Amino acid sequence: MKKLRVTVEGKVYDVLVEVLDEGAPVVAARAPAPSAPPAAAPVYAAPAPMPVAAPRGPVGSGDIACPLSGKLVTIDVAIGQLVEPGAQVATIEAMKMNTYIFAHKAGTVSEILAAAGDGVEEGSVLIRLA
Amino acid sequence: MAIAPELLAQLAEKRRIALSAGGDDKLEARRAKGLMNARERLLALFDPNTFMEWGMHTDHDCHDFGMEKKSFPGDGVVTGVGYINGRPVAAFSQDFTVGGGAVGRIHAKKICDLMDYATKSGMPVLGINDSGGARIQEGDDSLSGYGQVFFRNVLLSGVVPQVSIIAGPCAGGAAYSPALTDFIIMTRNNAQMFICGPEVIKAATGEVVTMDQVGSAMVHASVSGNIHFIAEDETHALAIAKKLFSFLPSNNVMDPPHRPTPSMVLELDPGMNELVPADSKAPIDVQKVIARLVDDGDFLEVHKEWAKNIVVGFARIEGLVVGIISNQPMVKAGTLDIDSSDKGARFIRFCNVFNIPVVTLVDIPGFMPGAAQERGGIIRHGAKMLFAYASATVPKITIIMRKAYGGAYLAMCSSDMGADVVYAWPCAEIAVMGAEGAAKILFKREITAAADPKAKEKELAADYREKFASPYTAARKGMITDVIEPAQTRSIVALALRNTLSKREARPPKKHGNIPL
Repeated sequence: MKKLRVTVEGKVYDVLVEVLDEGAPVVAARAPAPSAPPAAAPVYAAPAPMPVAAPRGPVGSGDIACPLSGKLVTIDVAIGQLVEPGAQVATIEAMKMNTYIFAHKAGTVSEILAAAGDGVEEGSVLIRLA
Repeated sequence: MAIAPELLAQLAEKRRIALSAGGDDKLEARRAKGLMNARERLLALFDPNTFMEWGMHTDHDCHDFGMEKKSFPGDGVVTGVGYINGRPVAAFSQDFTVGGGAVGRIHAKKICDLMDYATKSGMPVLGINDSGGARIQEGDDSLSGYGQVFFRNVLLSGVVPQVSIIAGPCAGGAAYSPALTDFIIMTRNNAQMFICGPEVIKAATGEVVTMDQVGSAMVHASVSGNIHFIAEDETHALAIAKKLFSFLPSNNVMDPPHRPTPSMVLELDPGMNELVPADSKAPIDVQKVIARLVDDGDFLEVHKEWAKNIVVGFARIEGLVVGIISNQPMVKAGTLDIDSSDKGARFIRFCNVFNIPVVTLVDIPGFMPGAAQERGGIIRHGAKMLFAYASATVPKITIIMRKAYGGAYLAMCSSDMGADVVYAWPCAEIAVMGAEGAAKILFKREITAAADPKAKEKELAADYREKFASPYTAARKGMITDVIEPAQTRSIVALALRNTLSKREARPPKKHGNIPL
């Protein structure tokens, strides 16, 4: 917007002019113009985060978890049974191969959370030792 | 005429000062805690009377923050050259009693001088890390020192073997020097390695973690894969280093220390046949296979606690040094996943650069399926195995024990990836995919049209299995060298090794390939 005084046939008019096609910057000689606010970055949908896997190792607890997803073939222990570290406690079938699961510590089987034939997920707890 | 006695007395006094390091009280305090001192570690490492110390009379040259009034004998690091089982090795050992083993300009210069000498003389470098980090008083001189060590770590990589022992703190940027070396051995206790420790993590992100979770030997051995060996204590760490050097050449133009026996024992080993379960779903414990395959069952396993679905390590077969890479069907069905691909590929590349023949044992149903694997970049990581094998020019001997399916079979050094010889056991199944899956795709119409689709599927899968799930289809097409009884494995591999030792394979010259990282 620019204020101009125009004289037409001796008569003075004060007019406001709005420059629509800004060829030359009107305020060039002024102090540096504050920089334009940065254009808002396009917002892309962030990929959905993966569900956080269940705590990985059964470190420091009596939880025995699946090392990989598959089908539970057998639970090789019973509730109340005392197991030694390294004892086989379950068998999973995955990738056409049986994977044996072993107790990482000694304990008594207090809970069995899956049954033969179940599909089991990596990280899910199969057996709890007390 | 003789040298003036006072000069000798002066030398003796200077030596006494250097050897007292940070002070006799500090040395004694560490001994009381059951810890070895920096020099004691080197003396225990080297053959008796062979350690020649370098720069014993060095001291820091910092004049700021009151440092000009302090003396740091050796500037916090002991360096020198000695012999391990008769072969020269350059070593440095950071001295925690001298200013917390912090790295200053002279400290870094001593390590760099040693590395330069090792490069020219073609001898391995062993570093024992036990340092509080950068010497703050020296500011950017300290930082520059780290940079110069890192740069040399990279220059030496692939020229001489570099081994690191972490026997104390190794924090922040300092952790990158060991990370650039070939093997890291860490003591189970009294050692921590991290970029950001629990305090920094909490301040920066609010996340609460313990040192055990981010910096312990156990976590680096089994979760991060940053270290290769876990040692019970310092003596054990030194023993592992010595054992490791017993398999490695001194540099990249030498052969590894083969000890070929004057006569070879070529006998059948019926025990190997007995290891193979009749049920194809019952896994074979590849540790037992390796124990029978190598001399005296003597196998130095690398990365034992990490990515256990692949087993890698050094051994000898009829005296010849080999690197063994094997799937382990007992863990995750022996699949290749992100971590096991990284582990295998790095080991293959080490063997290749130091002229160690690779023996690959294959029992692999495929790459590990799962969203986490795909999203984590199994394509990029699995490609490392293909890249490492195809680019290796050392002798490559492959034994297909049982399953060898699809792309994962190629990633285990098939003949197409440049294996020199490929032997398969009669129980080998070499196919593009498992019989059930293949039948479902190939005979989709027949199966859906059948009165009993399940039975039809089974029948067709059995047909497919008979045709392809054996070594003979591949053998007929000349894709494998021969089918052998498991009992023949050791003698065949021993013979094959002898005649591939003079192998020469030329590749087009280039700066380096571009391995997917």
